[in-house]
Amino acid sequence: MSAKRTMTLNLTDREMLVLEQLAAKKDLSKTGVMKLALRLLQTVDERIEPGKKLVVEDESKNEKSELVFL
Amino acid sequence: MNESIVYLLKTENSTFVKASLFDQVTDDHLAMWNNEWVPVMKKHAGDLKLKDAPEDSHWNWKKKLAQVEHLLSYQSFALVCEGVLQGLMIVSNVRSAKIQEQFGKPVVYVEFVSTAPWNRAEINKPVKYRGVGRVFILAAIESSREMGYGGRVGLHSLPQAERFYENKCGFKRLGPESTHQNLCYFEMTSSQADLFCQNMK
Repeated sequence: MSAKRTMTLNLTDREMLVLEQLAAKKDLSKTGVMKLALRLLQTVDERIEPGKKLVVEDESKNEKSELVFL
Repeated sequence: MNESIVYLLKTENSTFVKASLFDQVTDDHLAMWNNEWVPVMKKHAGDLKLKDAPEDSHWNWKKKLAQVEHLLSYQSFALVCEGVLQGLMIVSNVRSAKIQEQFGKPVVYVEFVSTAPWNRAEINKPVKYRGVGRVFILAAIESSREMGYGGRVGLHSLPQAERFYENKCGFKRLGPESTHQNLCYFEMTSSQADLFCQNMK
């Protein structure tokens, strides 16, 4: 097992509400959601470079929309 | 890197032998792949028409690993038995489940998995060891549980392995997907994962 380090995270009420909703929806702990978010951000950030887009596709409507990412 | 002790069936004398499952593929494992697997696979595939060659015979594990090893969303595994590399696997952990009852919840997704050429009946009869595929599915389930994903696992199967995942492992078949070269998608729920683990004991 890798060594683990602890940090304190201060969230607003609104942020905490979203975190709790996501934890329930994803069947994860709040820590699990934050870790998943970190993994996702790193993965997407690695893929997005000039000339590339992140697109959400709705196959039933044959629609595509670009997801703007930092 | 962690090492877990697992067991493979050595067909030569029908005994279970200890094997080591590593939760990170190292340069030593890649050297074993390059020096021991590749020549056997090349010789076998070279004698066949392209359509008859093993579907993973062209996979370059060194390149695959280099693309993902720095990302938190990927994990690699190596299985070594009696000093020889027996299998390699790469999983990711940022994909969503597709079965209705767990739709949108994260799964551990098996990106790539291979067993050594001498463990394949189409190359070496009788195979040297049995159980590599099951050990890797168990590793994917354990990884899913450690992530808090409850054992949920998903994968797209090469045609040659579909029956193994559906019949031997208990995955649910969801059908071919055009976004993945029409490979069939399979997924395991938490309860199916529990059942698989019970059957492994």
